[in-house]
Amino acid sequence: MIPAISLQGISKHYGERQALTDISLDIAPGEIFALLGPNGAGKTTLLHIICTILAADEGTARIFGVDVVREPARARRNLGVVFQQNSLDRRLTVTENLEFHGLVHGVPHKLRRARIKELLEAVDLAERKNALVETLSAGMARRLEIARALVHDAGILVMDEPTVGLDPESRQAIWHYIDNLRRELGLTIVTTTHYVEEVENCDTVCILDGGRIVALDSPQRLRARHGAEYIRLVPNDAAVEAAIKAAYPDLVSPLPNGLLLRIPDAGFTKAFLAEYGDAVSELSFDRQSLESVFLALTGRHLGRPPAPSGKGGRR
Amino acid sequence: MTTPRTTPKGNLPPLALAGGVYAIWLREVKRAVRDRGQLIGGISRPLLWVLVLGIGLNPYFRGEVYGQVRFVIPYTYLQFIFPAVIVLNIMYTSVQSAVSLIWDREFGFLREVLVSPMPRLFVLLGKVLGGVTVAMFHGCLVLVLARFADVAIAPASIAYGLFLMFLLAFGLTSLGIIIASRVRSFEGFGVFSNAVILPLYFLSSSIFPLDPALSRAQTLIVYPEWLVMLIELNPITYAVDALRGNFIGFNQFAPHLGIIVLTSMAVGFFLLAFLEFRKK
Repeated sequence: MIPAISLQGISKHYGERQALTDISLDIAPGEIFALLGPNGAGKTTLLHIICTILAADEGTARIFGVDVVREPARARRNLGVVFQQNSLDRRLTVTENLEFHGLVHGVPHKLRRARIKELLEAVDLAERKNALVETLSAGMARRLEIARALVHDAGILVMDEPTVGLDPESRQAIWHYIDNLRRELGLTIVTTTHYVEEVENCDTVCILDGGRIVALDSPQRLRARHGAEYIRLVPNDAAVEAAIKAAYPDLVSPLPNGLLLRIPDAGFTKAFLAEYGDAVSELSFDRQSLESVFLALTGRHLGRPPAPSGKGGRR
Repeated sequence: MTTPRTTPKGNLPPLALAGGVYAIWLREVKRAVRDRGQLIGGISRPLLWVLVLGIGLNPYFRGEVYGQVRFVIPYTYLQFIFPAVIVLNIMYTSVQSAVSLIWDREFGFLREVLVSPMPRLFVLLGKVLGGVTVAMFHGCLVLVLARFADVAIAPASIAYGLFLMFLLAFGLTSLGIIIASRVRSFEGFGVFSNAVILPLYFLSSSIFPLDPALSRAQTLIVYPEWLVMLIELNPITYAVDALRGNFIGFNQFAPHLGIIVLTSMAVGFFLLAFLEFRKK
């Protein structure tokens, strides 16, 4: 079977900086594929190469076997793209944005009308169909962008941080809509994200760091192989912090607010709590999350997602 | 659950290209219609230039002996300036709609277009035709004032006049795209108006004549050489002259020059705009 997306030896540099090094991977049709990594890991660069906005220095990318360099226009017909930065026309209405997309993607009139109606219902925007985009909330605009990417029956939905800048409730709602659409339309989904909890439901996770693939597997297997359990805590004072650091130099790593302790064996937690239980607060357990996988593989934390684009300007 | 698709779609059917150009054109027009500021400018500009400046200077514009040189322009100032105000309105609107490309780039919409399967040439064509349509409309707003300027427009001259306006708007919108592709940040439209539009306009013999009855030596007595040179080098000079020839029957230069310059501008600037646009 032809992979939905196939990358072979993709490399890209910006001036001196190597953004991507020898990325090779296949994404099977119907899969939910997540790219996970901190800022600057090369996630967005990789997506831009897939959707032909950027050219790779080396390597090939194929969409259902169509080479993105040789036949870029044809490759793009098979992709629905949701960019990190909002790319709706804020001065047009919801329907006008979808109509525009359908027209430039060559969707015939009748089919276009029917699909726009379906998609608006699928993302709960049917009631706002004649509203100007500038009057929508951030969550609604995001839903509209996802719907728009599917007007031309793309087959593959490519999303760059689809939920960035949204509150947890809207984030959950967005994934709910994406999941429904995937079932209904039989989509292959490629997404980048900062939120580890969003990655847990994917079929495959690709962890990128410094432009290289550091892990590529299902979340379950990654957790089983690399995931450790951690205790998060905030020491009550600096003396406690120093004592903990001195007692477990190999297990402790600093968090922006507090400490993270790797649990080396089953008896550790009990012994630790007996000693420091009263001297720390905001105690919590990280149970084999992908964040701990990331930490185990790179020795660093994922960090914060990029700030949502503040450019809400007048146009 | 639908089974996932496993095979690629083919290329965009050729007929769909027309639909894509239409979509881009329609977007430009819709945005212009919803932009109150642009419409207000399009109406107030001709009113100020024709009704205030034109009527105000009208009595001062007549045969005059100046040293040994005698001006004889057989038209009122209102009639003289009227075709130039059409050019002015088209210039503003064309450049304004083209530099909206900077906004599209800034606010991400350009990406939506660039990841569509539309070839860049057709994207550009839709964008330019959209700008042309809006600019032609604003040019026609000036034509409505013809009666006040005492310009009798013969029905026969309307069609050719619209054709000249089309060529001018096409060239200027393409020029605007070239500028927008080169400009990295948006400094506000005032910069474009002061750095591009108004210099081209004032140096096009739009508001003062270079009397064709004078020899070149005589002209250089009246005006400094640099000014005459700039006017003769400015392509807009010939656009204004072509519209004057058509609407009031007065040419300062060889009548066929206008259409040649306008056509070259339209074709040349469009090709340059395409080269710029393809780089993205």
